[in-house]
Amino acid sequence: MVLVLALGDLHIPHRAPDLPAKFKSMLVPGKIQHIICTGNLCIKEVHDYLKSLCPDMHVTRGEYDEDARYPETKTFTIGQFKLGVCHGHQVIPWGDLDSLAMLQRQLDVDILVTGHTHQFKAYKHEGGVVINPGSATGAYSSITYDVNPSFVLMDIDGLRVVVYVYELIDGEVKVDKIDFKKTATTHSAH
Amino acid sequence: MMSEVAQDEEKWLGAGIAGLQQNAFYMHRALDSNNLRDALKYSAQMLSELRTSRLSPHKYYELYMRAFDELRKLEMFFKEETRRGCSIVDLYELVQHAGNILPRLYLLCTVGSVYIKSKEAPAKDVLKDLVEMCRGIQHPVRGLFLRSYLSQVSRDKLPDIGSEYEGDADTVVDAVEFVLQNFTEMNKLWVRMQHQGPAREKEKREKERSELRDLVGKNLHVLSQIEGVDLEMYKETVLPRVLEQVVNCKDELAQYYLMDCIIQVFPDEYHLQTLETLLGAYPQLQPSVDVKTVLSQLMERLSNYAASSAEALPEFLQVEAFAKLNNAIGKVIEAQVDMPVAGAVTLYSSLLTFTLHVHPDRLDYVDQVLGACVKKLSGKGKLEDSRATKQIVALLSAPLEKYNDIMTALKLSNYPRVMEYLDNGTNKVMAVVIIQSIMKNNTCVSTADKVEALFELIKGLIKDLDGTFDDELDEEDFKEEQNSVARLIQMLYSDDPEEMFKIICTVRKHILTGGPKRLPFTAPPLVFSALKLVRRLQGQDENVVGEEALATPKKIFQFLNQIIEALSTVPTPELALRLYLQCAEAANDSDLEPVAYEFFTQAYILYEEEISDSKAQVTAIHLIIGTLQRMHVFGVENRDTLTHKATGYSAKLLKKPDQCRAVYACSHLFWVDDQDSVKDGERVLLCLKRALRIANAAQQMTNATRGGSGSVTLFVEILNKYLYFFEKGNPQVNIAAIQGLIELITTEMQSDTSTQDPAADAFFASTLRYIQFQKQKGGVIGEKYEPIKV
Amino acid sequence: MNYLIGAFKPPCNISISFVDGRTRKQVPLKKENGQSMMVPLFQSQENIVGEVVIEPIQGKKVEHNGVKIELLGQIELYFDRGNFYDFTSLVRELDVPGELYERKTYPFEFSTVEMPYESYNGVNVRLRYILKVTISRNYVGNIVEYQDFVVRNYTPLPSINNSIKMEVGIEDCLHIEFEYGKSKYHLKDVIIGKIYFLLVRIKIKNMELEIRRRESTGSGPNTYVETETLAKFELMDGAPVRGESIPIRLFLSPYELTPTYRNINNKFSVKYYLNLVLVDEEDRRYFKQQEITVYRLLETS
Repeated sequence: MVLVLALGDLHIPHRAPDLPAKFKSMLVPGKIQHIICTGNLCIKEVHDYLKSLCPDMHVTRGEYDEDARYPETKTFTIGQFKLGVCHGHQVIPWGDLDSLAMLQRQLDVDILVTGHTHQFKAYKHEGGVVINPGSATGAYSSITYDVNPSFVLMDIDGLRVVVYVYELIDGEVKVDKIDFKKTATTHSAH
Repeated sequence: MMSEVAQDEEKWLGAGIAGLQQNAFYMHRALDSNNLRDALKYSAQMLSELRTSRLSPHKYYELYMRAFDELRKLEMFFKEETRRGCSIVDLYELVQHAGNILPRLYLLCTVGSVYIKSKEAPAKDVLKDLVEMCRGIQHPVRGLFLRSYLSQVSRDKLPDIGSEYEGDADTVVDAVEFVLQNFTEMNKLWVRMQHQGPAREKEKREKERSELRDLVGKNLHVLSQIEGVDLEMYKETVLPRVLEQVVNCKDELAQYYLMDCIIQVFPDEYHLQTLETLLGAYPQLQPSVDVKTVLSQLMERLSNYAASSAEALPEFLQVEAFAKLNNAIGKVIEAQVDMPVAGAVTLYSSLLTFTLHVHPDRLDYVDQVLGACVKKLSGKGKLEDSRATKQIVALLSAPLEKYNDIMTALKLSNYPRVMEYLDNGTNKVMAVVIIQSIMKNNTCVSTADKVEALFELIKGLIKDLDGTFDDELDEEDFKEEQNSVARLIQMLYSDDPEEMFKIICTVRKHILTGGPKRLPFTAPPLVFSALKLVRRLQGQDENVVGEEALATPKKIFQFLNQIIEALSTVPTPELALRLYLQCAEAANDSDLEPVAYEFFTQAYILYEEEISDSKAQVTAIHLIIGTLQRMHVFGVENRDTLTHKATGYSAKLLKKPDQCRAVYACSHLFWVDDQDSVKDGERVLLCLKRALRIANAAQQMTNATRGGSGSVTLFVEILNKYLYFFEKGNPQVNIAAIQGLIELITTEMQSDTSTQDPAADAFFASTLRYIQFQKQKGGVIGEKYEPIKV
Repeated sequence: MNYLIGAFKPPCNISISFVDGRTRKQVPLKKENGQSMMVPLFQSQENIVGEVVIEPIQGKKVEHNGVKIELLGQIELYFDRGNFYDFTSLVRELDVPGELYERKTYPFEFSTVEMPYESYNGVNVRLRYILKVTISRNYVGNIVEYQDFVVRNYTPLPSINNSIKMEVGIEDCLHIEFEYGKSKYHLKDVIIGKIYFLLVRIKIKNMELEIRRRESTGSGPNTYVETETLAKFELMDGAPVRGESIPIRLFLSPYELTPTYRNINNKFSVKYYLNLVLVDEEDRRYFKQQEITVYRLLETS
C-alpha cells in the first residue's frame, strides 16, 4: 500500500493566504510516500512546506510558479502504475478530457494528474485515469466558479488504486472515494 | 586547576574538619558516659573551629554543617540530662561560662532550644534573650551563620497561633518580633560585608555575598509561614519593618534581593492590599538597583494571580492596582535618569501584560500604557538600541496575542505612535508580527478605514521609509516579507461590495507607493481580489446597485487596468500578460466586449514588444490561445482579428516543434464545442495542415543537421488532433486524411534512417489502441471509426 | 601540727575537735605544701567550742607547766617570712601545771569571737586562723598542736548599688559608652551590662572583659603589688559599627574570687577590677579598667 498525495493550484499568496486549517491538520509528515503537485504553488515557502510532508515530491510547472525550473511534464512509476503529471495550461482546450487523454497517450501513463481548472475530476477512459485534484486552497479560477478547496490521496496497491478526494464544503471536510483497477499492460514497457 | 588561595582554603577546611571531628569524638565519649562537664568542654572546643577567619562562605558552610550535625546530638543529650534531673535553668547558665563567645552562643542556642521545649519559661522570653545575645558576633560571616543556626533551631518553636508554644495573648507579636530582629541584624551583617576588604576585591566580595543571601532571605520565608501573620499584621508590622530595613541599609545587592524576596515569599493577595506601601519603597532604593526587574517581577506575579483566579479580579479594581502601578513606574523612571530606554520599555511591557490580564476590557488603560511609553520615547528619535527595540516588539506583540484580533489593536491610538520609534528593520519585524497575528487568527479586516489604519501600521513593509532603500536586505527575506503582505491582502474582505471596492482602492493607493521591487508581489493579490469582487457583482442585478454605486464591474476593470499597467514600470511583462488575460476572461463573463478586447490588446502588445525569451513565448502563446478559445463575448470581427494575430504569433515561434504545437492548438480557436457559431471546420483543417507542414519541415531540418530523420512525435500529436476533430464531427476531417497520416507515421517509423524514439513508438501504439477501442465501442462512434485501418 | 625538736618524738598526742564537728560545714584549705585539707568554717561572732584531748603515749608520763589553747588570727607577709602579725589572740587556760599520765579531755570555748577578717591565701600574703594548744614544759620544749579553721564573713545585699556608666574613648578613633549594672557584686553574681559604640574608626578584631585581682601588701617602700588576671571573657567577635550595642553577661561563679579586702589590718588589700579590652586588627589593645567591689552574700533562704 503506497499513499500518494496529489494536490495543486494553491496560488499562494496571489489568490489564497494559506491551506485551510482543516487540511493542514490532516497533512502530517511521515504518512505519505509520494507527493504529486500539479503546479502553481506558487512560492518557495509552499514548496518547502510540502517537502516537509514528504521528501519524494514531483512538481510540474504552473504558469504562475516562481521557480521556472519545474518541468512541463513528469513521468514516473509507483508500483505497478505509471504516473504522469502536467499542470494543464499547455493542453488546449483547458479541461477538455479528450485533449487530456491525448496527453496521457503521449506520456504513456496509467494515471495522468493534471490541474489548472481548479475543479476536481477523476475520469476513466480506455487509456487510463485522469485525475484533477482541484485547488487545495479553493483559489479563484477564471474557468471554474465557486471553487471548494480539495486534494486527492491515492492508495496504490498492486493493480488497484483507490482515489480518495477530500473537499472542504461549508467548513466541513467531506471524503469520497473512487476505485480503479488496472488490467495488466500489454504494450512494451520502457 | 585550583588557585593558590583555593588550595590554601582546602587545606584550612581540612584542618578545621579534622579538629572538629576530633573534638566531636571526645564529646561523644563524654555523652556516652553522661559526663556533662566534659561534654561541654569538648563541644566548646569543637565549636571553636567555627571561629576561623580563613574560609570563604562556601567552605565555611561545609564546616558549619558538620558542627550543626554534632550539635543535634548534643541537644538530644541536653534533653536527656534535664530528664535525669539536671535543671535546664542551670544548664542555660552553665554554657554561658564558656570563655569564647562563638562556641558559647552556639551552645546557648542549643540549650535554648531544649529550654523552650521544656516549657519552663515562655518561648518568647528565651527567644528574646537568644536573639539579643547573638549581637556579640559582629563578624559578618560568623554572625550570619550563627543567626542562621538560631533561626533553624527556633523555627518550630515560635509562639505562633495554634503552636504548643503559644503563650497568652499576642505571642504571635513576639514571634514576629523575634524573626524581624534576627532578620534585621542578619541583613546589617550581610550589608557590612560589602565594605570590608580592599576595593579591588569588590567582585569577589559580591560573589561571596551572593552565596550568603539565602541565609538572610530565609527569615522572610519564616515570617510568611507564621500562621498568625495575617494580612493585618503583615500590613501593620511586617512589611513596614522589613521595608524600613531594606531602604535604610542603602545597599544595592540587599535591596534588589530582598525586594524580590518579599514579592516571591508573601502571597499575591497581600501584595495587592499593600501595593501602595510596597511601591512607595521603590523610589527610595539606591539608584543603581535594577528596580525595573523587580517591579516587572511584581507585575508578572500579579498578572499570573489575576489570570489564575477570577475571584481576585474585583480586588484589583478595588485597590486601584493599575493606577498605582502606573504611577510607581512613572516615579521610578523619573528618579532613575540614567535608566536605558530598554529598561523603561521593559517596565511598560510588564505593566501592559498586567493590564491585559487584569483589565483586558479596558482598552483605555492599554492605550494609556502605550501613551506613557510614547512619552518616554519622545525626543529620542528612532531607537538604535537593539535591546530596546526587542522590548518594544514584545510590548506591541502583547495586545495582539491577548486579543487575537488586530482590530482591537488598531483601536489603540498610541499603538502606531510607538511604532514610529522603531528603526526601519524592527518596524518591518513588527509589521510581520502583525500580519502573522492576522493570519493565525484568520482575522478578516472588513472596512476601508481599518485597512487604511492597518496599512499605516505596516508601512515599513509597504514602502521604503525615509526614502532610503535598504541595500542590506537579504533577497530571501525581502521575498518573504512581500509574500506575507500578499497573503495579508487576501484577508481583506467585506460583504458589502461598495466597501470592498473602497478596500481595494485603499490597498492600491498603498501598494503603488511600494515601488517596482514590491509591485510584482503586491499587485497580483490585489488583482485577484478585484476579480473576485467582479464575480460577486455578476450575481447581482445591475439595477439594485444603483447609479451612484462605485463598485461596478466597469469601474473595477478600469481599476484593474491601472494596476496592471503599473506593473509595466517594473517591468514584469509575463506577469502582466497573465493578469491581462485573467481580466479578459472576467470581462468575458461580465459580457463587456470592449473591455475584454482592450485587455487582449494589452496582452498582445506585451507579447509583441516585451516577451522575447522563446520559452516564455511558448507559454504565453498557449495562455493566449487557451484564453481566447474560451471567449464567447467577441463578435466575429474582433474574434477574427485576435485569432489571426494568435495564429500569426504561433507560426513565428522560434523552434519548429513549438510552432507546430502552437499552430495545431490554434485549431481549437475555430472550433468551440458549446458555441455553434464557432465551428469552422475549414479553418480547423487549415491549421492542422499547416501544422503538418511545419512538422515536415522540422523533420527535414533534423535530417539536414543531424543526419537521420527526427522523431515522429509531432506527427502522432497531429494525428491525435485529427482524431479529435473527426470525432467532433468536423466534416473537413475525413478518413482519408487520417489514414494517410497513419501510413505516413508507420512508414517513417519503419524506415532505417529514423532514429529510435521509444516514446514516440509508445505514443503511436497507444493512439492505435485508442482507435481500436473506439472501433470496438460500437454505436455511432464505432461506426465512425470502422473504416480506419490500423 | 607537730613539729619536732631534734629527733625526739613528742610524748603525747594532742587532738583538737569541735563540738559541732560533724554538722559544721567544711571547706578545703590549701597548705603550704600544696596539699589541701578540709577544715571547719566559721563566721565572725560565732562561738568556737570544742575539746582538746591529750593522750600520753603508752607508759609515758608528761610533766607540764600548764596547758592552754589559743585562738589566733594571723597575717603572714611572704616577704617577711616567719613573721606573723597576730591581730587576734585569745587564750584559755586548760590546765594548771601538773602531770599527765592518762588521757585527759579539756573542753574549751571561745564565745562570740571577733574575726573581722576572712581567711585568705594570696600571692604575697596569708591570713589564717588557728587554734593552738600548748603544753608548757621546763627545760624541754613545749608541745604544740595546731588546728586551722577558715573564717568567712557574709554581708547582706547592699542597700545602695549604683551602676557604673561611663563614656571613654580616644579622640577621633573610638568612643564607647560602657555600663555595668552594679558596682558591687557578690561571688555568685552576674555582671550584666552593655557596651555602646559611639564612634568606631579603627578596625576592631574583638573585645573581652577581664577580671583582675590586685593584691597589695606592705606599705611605704615595701609595698608589693601583684596583679592576676582571673578571667578573660570574650564579649564580642568582629568589628562593630557606630550605634551597635553589645550585651555583657558574665557569671562570676566559675572564677576563684574572694571578696574585696580593703586595708586589712593595715597590712594588705585585695581589690578587683573589670578590664574592658578592645583589640584591633594590628593587635593593638585599647582598655579601660574599672574597680568593682566583691562581697560575700548573706543568703536568706
